Amino acid sequence: MLSGRFAVAGLGVTEQGRGLGHTTRDLQRQALELAIADAGIARGEIDGYIGTSSITFDDVRYLGLAPRFAYTMQSGGATAVWSIINAIGAIMTGQAEVVACVYAAAPTSTRMRRADGTTGSFGTYSYGYPRMYGMVGAGMAHAFHARRHMHRYGTTSEHLGAVAVTQRDYASVRPGTVGYQQPITLADHQASRMVVDPFRLLDCCRDTDGGVAVIVTSIERARDLAGTHTVVLGVGTGHNIRNWWTGDVYDLHDDIAPAAATAFAQAGIGVDAVDVAALYDPFSISVIMQLEAYGFCPPGEGGPFVSSGATRLDGTIPTNTGGGQLSGFYATGFTAVTEGLRQLRGEGGATQVAGAEVALVSGHGGNGGIQNTWAHATMLLGVDR
Amino acid sequence: MTPQHPLGPRDVAPDDLDNPFWDACQEHRFLIHRCGVCGRSYWPASCCIDHGSDAMAWQQASGHGVVHTYTVVHHAYEPSMADRVPYALAVVQLAEGPFFHSDIVGCDPAEVHVGMDVEAVFDAIDEQTVIPRFTPVRHGAKDDS
Repeated sequence: MLSGRFAVAGLGVTEQGRGLGHTTRDLQRQALELAIADAGIARGEIDGYIGTSSITFDDVRYLGLAPRFAYTMQSGGATAVWSIINAIGAIMTGQAEVVACVYAAAPTSTRMRRADGTTGSFGTYSYGYPRMYGMVGAGMAHAFHARRHMHRYGTTSEHLGAVAVTQRDYASVRPGTVGYQQPITLADHQASRMVVDPFRLLDCCRDTDGGVAVIVTSIERARDLAGTHTVVLGVGTGHNIRNWWTGDVYDLHDDIAPAAATAFAQAGIGVDAVDVAALYDPFSISVIMQLEAYGFCPPGEGGPFVSSGATRLDGTIPTNTGGGQLSGFYATGFTAVTEGLRQLRGEGGATQVAGAEVALVSGHGGNGGIQNTWAHATMLLGVDR
Repeated sequence: MTPQHPLGPRDVAPDDLDNPFWDACQEHRFLIHRCGVCGRSYWPASCCIDHGSDAMAWQQASGHGVVHTYTVVHHAYEPSMADRVPYALAVVQLAEGPFFHSDIVGCDPAEVHVGMDVEAVFDAIDEQTVIPRFTPVRHGAKDDS
């Protein structure tokens, strides 16, 4: 059993926002410095390094590290949780004792390459034959899920809007988020322009610059350090390529069932034990479908569930309490990792979930050859009692 | 670099494995990749999840399907999209089973819906390249007997 044997001993989060003017490498370095200081560990004790930025060959000289291994990994928005899983694996097999997992991106401070070969302040990506027909970016791919959900269950644009409004309310009182002091109403959501039907502008997150780093080590080592540590209770993964073969790939946001089953079994708890959820949310539908898949509400009822206020601070499962990617900041999978850790460390400020002891963190991304066949990663975090 | 011609399969495919499909499009034939052991159909070039690659072969398909899911693109993510939006982009479930991504042409994007019957039409996007796109089946248009 994984339960309780490993911990996140340090968290470093740089300024997150648009047009910060820092390079990716410098944001990585800043995040690492913050994480080292937070953990209260000597820099030289970091003997494993996992880079999770889009930098394929990461030059650790700039980071000032001398680890026993240094590699980069990439599974899109699942990378953050996956990097912690890999760090634990490295420690379990004796390859390291203290692993730094580091992320940064600076999309709004650099000109980005688009799928059509032009460059601009906003990048697009695409892969495979759908590009010929005009499929670029992640919005269209997530819209396919949203349309199926609306078709099958009667989910409405107002339900999607409830996700956007709820998360903006969280962000509006969380300093450092893109939505800080900018609450929105459902009418604002409905009035925002259509981007990729059924997504309006306020159903979509925005790119932001920023870096995040975590220090992963054994629970014993973590307990010896001066900083506040958080226990990794369980981790699990699933891949939606499985559902490509059954034809369910668009009806299921990801293959969450095996990811959740593995993580909850390791933790030895059920979904009822989760106090706060930090779900990967590039688009509003993602929250609705994950709440269902994790069992916080029955299948098809995610829209009414969010509209009822169930994901608010006084609801049954406060969700994306830092504003998520939609209104907080977009650090791919590290947005959710950051919020899960902050809540359990009691750093949630105005949106702190009182007495939170267990957090669910999710990530999705990467692909199995075509968009929507994404990896999913689940992590359950707990307070060390 | 930006191709000077409309994007064709050779611009977006990773290699030549799907060439038999695109070559058949030149003759206005829509193929699927089928397992000779179990008869299960795949697209694009695949490996049967039960029987591996030994008995896979390209075969004639109906070119018919239904819209499984779709979006209407309103935002021009790239300058090249500006004079094209809005357009409907769909995942078509082919009659033989596999999914195929396509735009939906020959109708108002607002008409596209889940379950819509569609069929392949072949579009010569330049002098060398023919690609399939999907268009609504107009029921009764041809058979009025």
